[in-house]
Amino acid sequence: MTTTAARDIPRHSPNRTRLHRVLGANPLGIAFSAPYLVFVAIVFAIPFVSSIWMSFHDFFFSAPGADVDHAFVGLANYQAVLTDPAVWQAFGNVGVFLLINVPLTVVLALLLAFQLNRVVHARTFLRVSFYVPYVTASVAVVAVWLFLFGGDGLVNQLLGPIAPEPSWLVNPVLAMPTIALFVTWKQLGFYILLYLAALQNVPKELYESAATDGAGRLRQFLSVTIPSVRPATLLVVLLSTVTGANLFTEPYLLTAGGGPNGASASPVLLVYQKGIEQGTPDVAAAIGLILVVLVLIIALLQRKFVGGENS
Amino acid sequence: MTTTVGSPVHRTNGLTRFQTVLRGVVLALGAVAFLFPFYYMIIGSLQAEPDSSLAGAFPNPANLTGENYVEINERIDLLRGLVNSGVFTAGVILCTVVFGVLVGYALAVLQWRGRGVTFALALLVQVVPFQLLMIPLYVLIARDYGLSDSYLGMILPFAINSAAVIIFRQYFLQLPRDIFEAARIDGAGELRLLWNVALPLVRPALLTVVLITFIGPWNEFLWPFLITKDAALQPLAVSLANYISNVAATASNPFGATLAGAFVLAVPAVTLFIVFQRYFTSTDLGSGVKG
Amino acid sequence: MRRRAGAHVAVMLTLAAVLITGCGGGQASTGSPDKHGDITIWYSNNEQELEWGKQMVEAWNADHPDEQITAQEIPAGSSSEAVIGASIAAGNAPCLIFNTAPVAVAQFQKQGGLVNLSQSFDDAAAYIEDRSGDLASQYADADGDYFQIPWKSNPVVIFYNKEMFAEAGLDPDKPPLHTYDEFLDSARAIVDSGAAPYAIYPSPTSQFFQIDIDFYPLYAAETGGTPLVEDGKATFADDAGERVAEFWRTVYDEGLAGDEIYQGDAFADGKAAMAIVGPWAVAVYQDLDWGSVPVPTSKGTPADEIWTFSDAKNIGLYTACENQGTAWDVVEFATSPEQDGKLLELTGQMPLRRDLAEVYADYFDENPAYRAFGAQTARVVEVPNSPNAVAMLQKLRDAYTGAVVFGNGSIPDALRQAAAAVDDLAAQP
Repeated sequence: MTTTAARDIPRHSPNRTRLHRVLGANPLGIAFSAPYLVFVAIVFAIPFVSSIWMSFHDFFFSAPGADVDHAFVGLANYQAVLTDPAVWQAFGNVGVFLLINVPLTVVLALLLAFQLNRVVHARTFLRVSFYVPYVTASVAVVAVWLFLFGGDGLVNQLLGPIAPEPSWLVNPVLAMPTIALFVTWKQLGFYILLYLAALQNVPKELYESAATDGAGRLRQFLSVTIPSVRPATLLVVLLSTVTGANLFTEPYLLTAGGGPNGASASPVLLVYQKGIEQGTPDVAAAIGLILVVLVLIIALLQRKFVGGENS
Repeated sequence: MTTTVGSPVHRTNGLTRFQTVLRGVVLALGAVAFLFPFYYMIIGSLQAEPDSSLAGAFPNPANLTGENYVEINERIDLLRGLVNSGVFTAGVILCTVVFGVLVGYALAVLQWRGRGVTFALALLVQVVPFQLLMIPLYVLIARDYGLSDSYLGMILPFAINSAAVIIFRQYFLQLPRDIFEAARIDGAGELRLLWNVALPLVRPALLTVVLITFIGPWNEFLWPFLITKDAALQPLAVSLANYISNVAATASNPFGATLAGAFVLAVPAVTLFIVFQRYFTSTDLGSGVKG
Repeated sequence: MRRRAGAHVAVMLTLAAVLITGCGGGQASTGSPDKHGDITIWYSNNEQELEWGKQMVEAWNADHPDEQITAQEIPAGSSSEAVIGASIAAGNAPCLIFNTAPVAVAQFQKQGGLVNLSQSFDDAAAYIEDRSGDLASQYADADGDYFQIPWKSNPVVIFYNKEMFAEAGLDPDKPPLHTYDEFLDSARAIVDSGAAPYAIYPSPTSQFFQIDIDFYPLYAAETGGTPLVEDGKATFADDAGERVAEFWRTVYDEGLAGDEIYQGDAFADGKAAMAIVGPWAVAVYQDLDWGSVPVPTSKGTPADEIWTFSDAKNIGLYTACENQGTAWDVVEFATSPEQDGKLLELTGQMPLRRDLAEVYADYFDENPAYRAFGAQTARVVEVPNSPNAVAMLQKLRDAYTGAVVFGNGSIPDALRQAAAAVDDLAAQP
C-alpha cells in the first residue's frame, strides 16, 4: 500500500487559504502556543526589558514614589564592565568550565545511557544510582565533594606525594576544572535521561540490518546509534552549555564566592554580587546581557554544526 | 548467506561473556561513584557525633542515632514543608506538561506564523540567568500582581519550564512525518493527532520532562524565600536553607541535622524516579510506519 | 528567518513590557509619623534572638490592643540584605526590621527605603544619643541624621579552648595571646603538640563581610579605633594595616589556619583551638570549656584599651510603614532598659548602651565571663557609612584573600590597590 503525498490532497476550501497566508498553514499552532506566550509576556518580558533598560542608565532599585534620577549613560556601564579584569577572568573561567563540562557530559551521558538501555540485571538499581546526585540537595553533595577533594580529603590521601599543592579547590589552576568535574558528575543523571528517552525511539531494525551487513558492536554504535540520537545530542549540548554558562550555585557553595584570586568566579556570581549585594544592578545588567549575547551566539553555532538540517 | 563476524565463543546478546561481565563491573563502579553522596548523606544524618574523617564513611554502629531527625523536625515542621514543596512543584509540573506539550507540538509539527519567534523566545528565556531578573521579577509579582505570600506567586515565574518546551519540540521532531500524514488523511484533527498519535510515542520524553521539571522547584530556595515570609507557606528547601544558615549551629550535631533535612528533601525525588523509570521502554516505532 | 525572528522577539517583548507597566504603578507609601495602628516587624531567626523577639512582641501586644505587632522571621545571613532590598523596591517592607546590617543602611537610605528618624520624630536623635552615648555618632549619616537605631553589638574577640591550651602546655587561665609574637608562638605550640589540627580557623572565603572578622578587628586594635574609611579616604594601606596583613599571612603560610572552606564551625567541632568571633557564638560553644581574650596587637596594648569590630545589628524603620508613630513607640519599648536587659540575658549579645556595665551590674556579676564583652562594647568601630560600603569591603576582601590567605603578591601593593579602589568608591554618591 502506498501513501499519497499530503500536499496533493486539497484539505481546505479556497476561502481559507487567505487566512493561511497570514497565519501560516496551520493557525492552530498559534492557539496551542498562546498560553506559553502569555506566560512569557507576563513573567519574563518586563524584568528582561527592564534589565536591558537598566544597563544603559545609572540605576538602582528605589522605593516606590522615591524621587530618584536615573540618568541615561549610554555605554558607560558596558565600558566599565569590559575594562574590569575581574569580569574577563569570570568569563574565562566559564569558558574553561564549558570546554571541560560539555564534551564530557555528551560522551559520558551517551555511553552510560546506551549501556543502561541494554543492561538486564539490576536495571532499576543502576539507573536510579546515576540519577541520585542530580536530585540530592547541593548541601549534601558539596559536603561529599569536600570530603573527597578537600585538603585532607580522600583523593589527596590516596594520591599521597603527587597530590596537587595547593589542593584542588584552592588551586588557582585546578579550581575551575574541579568544579567542572563536580558539576558534570552532579548533572549527568539529567542528560542520561534525555539520551535514554531518545534511545527508546531508535528502531531495532536499524541495528538488525547493520548487524546483517557485518557491523560489529562498535561499528553499530558509531553508524547507527550516534546518528540516530543526533537531535538529542544537540539538546544535550545546548542545554548543558546554557546551564553551564549560568553557573552560580556550585562555585558559591564549593569556594564561597570566587575562590583564590577569583579563580572560580563566574559571570553570574558577579551579577549576584554587584546587582544584589552591592546595589549596582545597572552594572550587573551589563554583565548579564553580555553573557546572554555570548551564549546565544554559541547556541546558534551549535545548532548549525551539531544539529544539521532537522533542528 | 552471511556469517557472523567476531569471536565465536559464547555469544549471548552479541557480547562475549567477558564483555558482559566487564560492562557489569564498569556500570557497578559507576553506580557506586554516583550513589556515594546519597550514602554519605544517610550515614552522616544518622551519626550522633560528626565524623568528617575517612573512617566516618564506615561508621561505628554505636555512633548511629535518629536524634538528628527529631531535632530538625522540632525546629522546622518537615511535613508542612514537604506539603508546600509538593504544591509548588505539582503546580509547575502541571502547567509545564499541559502547556509545554502544546507548544512543543506546535513548534515541531505545525506550520504557522511566529513559529521561529516562539522558539527563539523559549531559547532566550532559558539563556537569561535568573539572578539578573530576580528583583524586577519580585517587584512585578509582589507589587504589581499582589501575589506575595501565596502559592501562585511562588509558582508563576516557573510555571512553564522553557527547557521542557525545547525538549518536547526536539522529541516531536524526531517522529516520522508519515505517521501524521497517515492519520490526517484518515481525517483526524490536530488535537486528536496530538493526543492519540504523538503523545504515546513520546512517552519517554513526557516522563523525562516530569522528572526534570520536578527537581527545579523542589530544590529551589531563593525565589520562594523572597516571595513568602509566612513560615507556614515555605517549601522544605527554604526551611532547610534557613535552618542551615542559622539554627543548625546550636544543634547537637549541626552537620547531621542538616543532612537529615537534606535526606528528607531528596527521598520523594528518588522515589518518583524509581517509580517512573520502568516506563522508559522502547515504543517500537517501526511497526507504526509500515502497513 | 533567524534574523527576523530575533527582531520579532524584541518587538514582542517590548510591547508586552510597555503594556503591562501601564497597569501597575508605584505609589508612594502613605505612612506618616503621626499614624498609629497595627504594624509588622521582621527579626532574625537566630534561636536566642527569636526567644527575645517573641517575648517582646507578646509584652507589647498585651498592653496595646489597638496597636498589634505581627512578627515574621528572616534569616540573619547575608541573604537578608537581598530580601530587604527587594522588599524596599516592591514597597512591601515591614515597619521595623530588627536585623538591619549597618553596612547596608546607606544603600537602603539611598533607595528611599528608610525613614529619616531625626527629621520625623522630635525626640529620636536625643533618644538615640542618650541611649548609646558616644557610639551613636558612627551610625549617623554625613548630615548627622539617624536612619537607623543602634541596637546590639557582638564585639569580636578571641575565644580559646582551655583544654586544648592545657594540652599544648599553655596556661589556660592566662593564655599568651597579647602580642603577635606570643600569639604565633602559642599557635605553633598548639599545632605542633597535636592538640588541634589548626590553631584558629577564620573563614577564608571571598564573601565581603568576612573581612570584618579577620582583618578589621585587628586593624581596629592596632590603630586604637581607626575605621576603614575616614573622611572619604581609605585608611588601611598604612603601616598598621601592613602589620595586620603580615600577621595573618604568617598564620596561613605556616598552616596555622586552613585556607579551604570548612563546613560548620571549626572551633565547635574541635578542629581549631581558637575562634575569632563575638559573644553570640557562646550558645554554640556551650559544651566547650572556653575562655576569651581581646584580639592581639603587635606590641601588646593593655586589654582595657584594645578596640575591635562591633559586628552590630541595628533596627531600621522603613518608609513602606503605614503606622510610623507606633513603630517608633515600639522601638523605644524594645530598646528600653528592661528589654535590653532581657536581650542580654537571653542572647548574651551586648545592647549598644553607654551605661551597660552599670545598669546590668547584676548580670555581669552572675556571668563574669561576659564582663569582658560588656567592657569591650565601649571600644568598637563600625563599617563605612556609605552606599558603596559593600563594594568597598568586597574590594578589600578580594585583595586580602589573594595576598594574605593565598600568599600571592606583595601585601603593601595589594593594600594600596584596594585603598585606591575604595577611595574611588567613597567619592561616588
